[in-house]
Amino acid sequence: MPDGAGRARVAGLLRLGGWAGGELVAAVPLLAGLAVWELAGWMLGFRFLPPFSRVLATAVGMIAGGELMAPLGASLLSLAAGYLPAAGLGVTLGLLMGRSRGLEFVLSPYLNAFMATPRIALVPILYIVLGLNRAVQAVVVFLGAFFVIVWSTMRGVRSADRDHVEMARAFGATKRQVMWKILLPSALPLTLAGLRLGIGQAIRAMIAAEMFIAVFGLGALLRTYGGRFDAERLLAVLLVVVAVALVCALAAARLDRHLTAWSRTPR
Amino acid sequence: MITIESARVRFASTEGGAPMVALADVSLTIARGEFLCILGPSGCGKTTLLKAMMGLVPLDSGQIRIGSHAVTGPGADRAMVFQNYALLPWADVTANIAFGLELRGASREECARQAAHWIKAVGLGGFEHHLPRQLSGGMQQRVGLARALAVEPEILLMDEPFGAVDAQTRRLLQEDLLDLMQRSGKTVVFVTHSMEEAVLLGDRVALMSPRPGRVREVIEVGLTRPRTASVEREPRFTELKEYLWERLRAMRDEAADA
Repeated sequence: MPDGAGRARVAGLLRLGGWAGGELVAAVPLLAGLAVWELAGWMLGFRFLPPFSRVLATAVGMIAGGELMAPLGASLLSLAAGYLPAAGLGVTLGLLMGRSRGLEFVLSPYLNAFMATPRIALVPILYIVLGLNRAVQAVVVFLGAFFVIVWSTMRGVRSADRDHVEMARAFGATKRQVMWKILLPSALPLTLAGLRLGIGQAIRAMIAAEMFIAVFGLGALLRTYGGRFDAERLLAVLLVVVAVALVCALAAARLDRHLTAWSRTPR
Repeated sequence: MITIESARVRFASTEGGAPMVALADVSLTIARGEFLCILGPSGCGKTTLLKAMMGLVPLDSGQIRIGSHAVTGPGADRAMVFQNYALLPWADVTANIAFGLELRGASREECARQAAHWIKAVGLGGFEHHLPRQLSGGMQQRVGLARALAVEPEILLMDEPFGAVDAQTRRLLQEDLLDLMQRSGKTVVFVTHSMEEAVLLGDRVALMSPRPGRVREVIEVGLTRPRTASVEREPRFTELKEYLWERLRAMRDEAADA
C-alpha cells in the first residue's frame, strides 16, 4: 500500500468513528418531526398520543428498570441469527445467479414470487413446523432479508461493464479473477443497497413474528402493551425498535459511503 | 512476426437473419518491430481484426500466428489499449496501471515499482492516487497506455485509442506515443479512422473496406524515422493523406451505388 493512499484510508476510518457535521444537519428533519409530535401530544391531550418526552422518559425508565433488556436481547439475537446468514447466503447466491444466466432463469421465478409474498403469512406454519421456539424468529428474519439481498446482488453483478470484463480477459484474467477483481467490485454498490434494504425488512419481519406469538422479544412486549391499550409503553418500545433500525441504517450508510465513494458522480 | 491467414469472422445477426460477415478472408503479415495502422470507415471490421489478434474474438476459419504459435486466446506477449479506456472506476491510477501485473501474480512491491515507473513515462506524475473519473479523457488514455506497457508486451494492440479525445490532446498523445514507441522496438497495430493519424504514426497503412470487412490495400508510408509531428509539412505526408482520402471516398461511393 503506497503511503498517501494508506494515510487517506486511515483518515477515512477515523472519520467513521466521529460524528460529522453533515449527520447533525441530517438529523434536523427528524428533530422537527419529534417537535411536532411533542406539541401535538401536549395540545391535543389525546390519550393514545402521549408527548414524545413522556414516551422517551418511559423508554429510559423501562431500560433502566431492566424490564426491556431481556426482550431487547432476545430480539437482537434473533435479528443477528437471521440476518447474518441471510446476508452471507444472499450475497453468495446473488453472485452465482449474476454469473450464470441458467441459474437466473431457473431461480428468478421463485425469487420474484417470494419477494411478492407477504412472508409474515408463513409465520403460523413455521411455528407449527419448527415448534414454539426462537429459531422461528431467526427463520422469519432470514426470509425477510434474504430475497432482496439476492436480487440486488444479482443486479449488481449484471451491472458490471462488459468492457471491463473484456479488458480483464485481454490481460489474461482467469474466470476466478474476473469474478473477484471485476464482477465483485462492480456489484458492490447494489449489493450494499440490498444489504441496507434487507436490514429494514429483517426488523419488520422480526417484530411481526414476535407479535404473532407474543412470547419472545420486543414484539411480545408490543402485543402485551397493545392489549392493555398502554400507548405510552407501546410507543416507548416502538421507539427502541426505531432506534435499533436507525443505528443499523446509519452503520450501513457509513460503510456504503466508505466503500463505494468511487461510484458516486462528483459534485 | 504476426501472420494473419484467410481470417474469417461472422457474427450472429441480432434479428435472427443471415449472420453478419465482420471479416471476410483477411490476410496480412506484420513484421517484428513494425508500426502498422489499420484504417477504414466504421463497420469495416478493423476492431474485430484487432480483437481477433488479441484472442478475444475467435475466428470462424483461417489462422492468426504470432511467430509460429497460433493465437487461441489472450497471451502475455500481447497487450491492448481500448478505445473507451476501460479503466476500473474504483481503482486509482496506480492500481489501474498495475492491473495486468496484479493478474499475473506480481508482488505488491513489484506492482508499485512498475506503476511508478510507467506513471512517469506517460507523464502522469502527481496523479498516482487519483480515480479515473477525476482525470481528463487524455489522461485516462495515458493510464490505459501505461497499463498495457507495464506488462511489457512484444506486441501492442491499440483500438482507436485517441478517438474520444479533443484534437489538441490527441496531437499531444500522438507525439508522446511516437516518442515512446520509436525507442522501444515493439510491434504496434493501431486501429484508427483518421488518415492523418495513420500516416503520422505508421510504417504501413492497411486500408480496410466494409460489408464484408476486408483489407483492400496496404500502403508503405516511407517517411523517415525517428519521426516527429513536423513530418506533416513534408510533401509525402500530404500526398499520402490525399491518396487515402480518395480511396476512402471511392469506397463510400461504391457502397452508395451497391
